[in-house]
This record gives sequence, structure tokens and C-alpha cells, in this order.
Amino acid sequence: MKNFVSYLRDPMRIKWMLTLASLKMFFRQREAILWTVLFPLLVVVLFGFVRFNGMGRISLGVVNEGGAAGADLLTRIKNVRTFEVSEGTRESEMSELRKGERDLVLVIPAGYVPAAATEMTAFGDLEAKPQVTQLGGLVLQRVFDESAFAGAPGLRRTTLSTIPFKSRNLTYMDFLLPGVLSMSIMQAGIFGVAFGFVSLKKRGILRRLWVTPIRPSDFIIAQVAMRLLVILFQMTIMVGVGVLFLNLHFIGNLALIYLLGMLGAVVFLGFGFSLAGISKSEDQVAPLANIITLPMLALSGIFFSRSNLPGFVGAMTSVLPLTYLADGLRSVAIDGATLAQVTPQILGLGLWGVVSCALAVRLFQWE
Amino acid sequence: MTETPDVVLEVKELVKRYGEITAVDGVSFSVRAREIFGILGPNGAGKTTTLECIETLRPVDAGTILLGGLNVRAQAQEVKRIIGVQLQSSSFFDKLSLAELLLLFGEMYGRSVDPLALLDEVELRDKSRSQVVQLSGGQKQRFSIAAALVNDPVVIFLDEPTTGLDPQARRHLWGVIKRIRSEGKTIVITTHYMDEAEELCDRVAVMDAGRIIALAPPQEMIDALVARGFRKERVERLASLEDVFLSLTGHTIRDE
Repeated sequence: MKNFVSYLRDPMRIKWMLTLASLKMFFRQREAILWTVLFPLLVVVLFGFVRFNGMGRISLGVVNEGGAAGADLLTRIKNVRTFEVSEGTRESEMSELRKGERDLVLVIPAGYVPAAATEMTAFGDLEAKPQVTQLGGLVLQRVFDESAFAGAPGLRRTTLSTIPFKSRNLTYMDFLLPGVLSMSIMQAGIFGVAFGFVSLKKRGILRRLWVTPIRPSDFIIAQVAMRLLVILFQMTIMVGVGVLFLNLHFIGNLALIYLLGMLGAVVFLGFGFSLAGISKSEDQVAPLANIITLPMLALSGIFFSRSNLPGFVGAMTSVLPLTYLADGLRSVAIDGATLAQVTPQILGLGLWGVVSCALAVRLFQWE
Repeated sequence: MTETPDVVLEVKELVKRYGEITAVDGVSFSVRAREIFGILGPNGAGKTTTLECIETLRPVDAGTILLGGLNVRAQAQEVKRIIGVQLQSSSFFDKLSLAELLLLFGEMYGRSVDPLALLDEVELRDKSRSQVVQLSGGQKQRFSIAAALVNDPVVIFLDEPTTGLDPQARRHLWGVIKRIRSEGKTIVITTHYMDEAEELCDRVAVMDAGRIIALAPPQEMIDALVARGFRKERVERLASLEDVFLSLTGHTIRDE
């Protein structure tokens, strides 16, 4: 018993040391950083880019033949978020318009003076894109007016004051980023643990550990702690990059985001350990992990809203763990949902957590 | 307890079955303090299983194992604290340096170890910042021995430590093993190289089909065989091919 005392004196120490060592190992793998941070961000940027061009903003080509005054107007136009502005020569912009790459092309003529009655021309396909063309024209008109007033402060004219309507100008990015965050939590939990553990098993690393006095539970606890810390790191980076660089309209409670993320992580870690338990090699893990994750990726509203799904599929997929996680993260992040408002998601994840951890306990094997 | 103070490990009537197969079938032996005890035998003889039973890795079906006064079956956790183990195909975590690995293994025993001193023991000090994947076969085995020493164990178990090594690396490892013994450790080693057993072991047990069929110092076994009238067909060979190989390529180890 005497030998035992030193171990019992500080039972937390070895767990912490193992966690620290696993974190070191994790962050020293270049692929790990790639998969946990860069890959999800790449997905966000790629998908975001594709959809940005497709909807929401008006692609406006500007041909500036008006010199400095024209450049000033151009700056004002660029400040309007409705427009995605490209600049070019008359020839190139018109050719882009023909190809459908531009919704509208504005020509600022030579000798343009803001306050004078200048004839301004915009080209657009009124037949194919009536709303976009008209809306673009209206917004442009407003920019001209502002520009005119700025040039002649004395000028008075009845101004239309618009009452701001509740619109936060949410973009596809706001939908996408919480979804991809959920996806990467799932991948980290299931693939990370399952592959990692099977490899430790297969290579005899675990056997070597079991001839030391550490307990299997110490090792599991350290593994779980390491994964949770990595996922916290991943969440922080993704939300940070989203807010700083991707124009994410984040208004949620960060603590609630982390809470949901951790709950989700526990659910998927449970599945990861279950897979590690029943698989003897990496070759067995891959298909099983894909069977679990792929349907959820497609059906849990990660990239596209679930509202497009047919009724019964929609109902079925609403109880998937990834759906709970993505919906929860999304409503907290961009709608500022409170704890009470995401209680269904928390309960859903909690329930799945119980299921997956019970499964892990049943299926997990050391050898 | 029946063991004499000099006996560190006592195995009595050990039985281990895997389903229908009896891998270890009533094995008994005892190991004295500071000896190198060899377990020889062809593949599948039960050497590794015997070791794994002693090392607490496998539940025992029958028999008793006493190690340093502890009953392995009842006090596994405490036995683990006083043994050092090199498994036949053990590997270590990636991405940690040798020094970091030794510190981590020390922590598993609640000890703060001096990694460089341990690496000196196996002549790997200059590799302290390397990772295991960067080591050669011989270096890996030596590191594995260093990791088995972190807890200053009473008995060290080495399972086929020189399998797959070239003659130079084998001889180097023998030197390391002998030095560790000279520092007061007891070593149990399995091998299927007879020259290795003859060179290293104070006593050897020969196992076949799960049983020990002979147990004596190597020289005694040889003498007994010769006394029974055995003669090699080709005697008076003054050198072997291995001697030729070593004289051609030198004793310098090549894995550094």
C-alpha cells in the first residue's frame, strides 16, 4: 500500500501531464492544424464565395471616364454594401455584362460634375433581371443625390428619410459559419478520436502504457480533455476569423456558444470512442465514420437550409445531433438566442450525449 | 511465503489458456536477484505469454506468481510499480522527443526523472531531442530499455530485444544489458538466439509447447549434452560466419 500513497497524493497530476503531452503531440502535427483550423475556414470561404456571387449583392461594373470627380463618386458607390463593384473600360465591362457577369454597368461620362445635371447612363438587362436592374438604378440614383448635396451644401431638397426596418443584412456567411463550425466539431470528435485511438491500439502504444501504474481512466480523461481543449481552440479561431475577416454578424453570448460546442463535442467524442472500440484498424474506422457523418453533413442543414427538405425528411433530420448543434450555434451566434431559447437543442444534445457515452462504455475495448 | 530472500521472482504452476489452446502449461521457475535469466524457445513456445502474465498484462488461469514479495494476481497495480518492461513490439507516442517521453513515463510512476541520465544508460544522450521515428532499430530497442528503467525497477523484462538487429547492434545491446545488470538489476530476457543466451544469461529455461523442458546455466546444459555423448559433426571450427562478418565490417555500430 505504501507504494500507492505517492500516486494517490496527487491523482490529478498525471491526468494533467497526459493532457499536456497529448496537446503537445496534437499541435506538433502539421496535418492536425490543417484539418482543425484551415480546412473548415477554407470550406467557409469557398462556399461563402460561391454563394456571395449568386445572391444578395448586385454586381455593378463602373466605367469611369469622369476623372477625379468620377473617382469620388466611385468611392461613394463602393461604400454601398448592395453593390459588388468592379471597375474597367467601357469595352471590358460591356463584355462582362453581355456574359452575365455584371448585373449593371454604369458609365461616368467625361466632364462629370456632381451638382450639375449630368446625363448618366447605366446598362442592364431589364428583361432578364428586372428587379435587380431597377433596384440597382434606384440605389445609384440615391448615391448621385448624396453626391450632389455633398458638393453643394446650400442646396435644399426634400429628402426621403427611410425608417429602418428590422433587417440585419444577414448574409449566407452568417448561416454557413456556425454550420461549418458544427461540422468541424463533429469531425474532430469522431474522426480524431477514432483514428487516433485505433492507431494507439494497433501500434502497441496502449499495451506499453498498461504496464505502468496509470489507470485506463486517467488516459481516457486526458484524451477527452485534450480533444475538448482543441475544440475550444478551434471554435475561438473560427468565430474570431468570422467576425474579423468574414463579416460575421455575431451578436450571441460567447459562453453559450462554448457550452453548446462542448456538449456537441461530448456527443461526438462518445461516437468516436465507440468506433475506436469496435475497429481493429484504420481501414475499419474510415467507412464506419463516414456512414455516421456523411448523412448528417448532407441533412443537418450545414451548408443549406433544411427548409428545402421534404416534410418527413425534415422532421426526421431535426433530431440528428448535428442538427441540434448547428441550429443551436446558429441561433445563438446570429440571433442572439438566450439559454432558455436554445434549451431544446441543449436537451437534444444532452440526450445524444447520454446515448453516445453509454455506447462508448459498452463498445470500447483496449485490445 | 516460501521464497528465499535471494529470489526476486517466483512462478509456480502457471497456466494460461486461450480457448482450447493452452499457451502456458504449468510453468515454474524462480529468478534470483541480479541475475540475467533467459527464456528460450522456438516461436509459439509460450515465452511471450509467460512474460505477459508476469507483467500483469494477461489474466492468469492458474498458478501463482510472486514478484518482490507481491502476488501478481492480487496486487497487479503495485507490481506495475516495481517492474520495467520492454514489450516485443512496443512503440511510443509520436511527436514527443525521447527526453519528453521519459519525463512523461516518469510521471506515470509519480517520479521526476532525469532523462539525460537515463539516456546515458543506453548511450542515447545525443538523441534526447529526437523522436522515436527517427531512431534506427537498435536505437529504438535501447530507448525502449531506457523507458523500462524510469521507475528504477526491481526486475526488468526484455522480450526478444535483439530480434531484427544487425550483428553490431546486437552486440552493442548486449553491452547495455550487461551494464544494467552490473548496476544491480535483475533481468528476465526472452530470445531465440542461442548465442545471445550463451553470452548473456546466467541461467536459461528452455520452453517448448508451453512447458519448461530444461532449466540450468548454459554451460551446464552444454556439458550435460556432451557428457551424454553428443558430438557436433564438424568440430574444431575456430570461427563462424558471424565472426567473419564482424571481422570484415568491424564492431562499430552503424545506427548512430
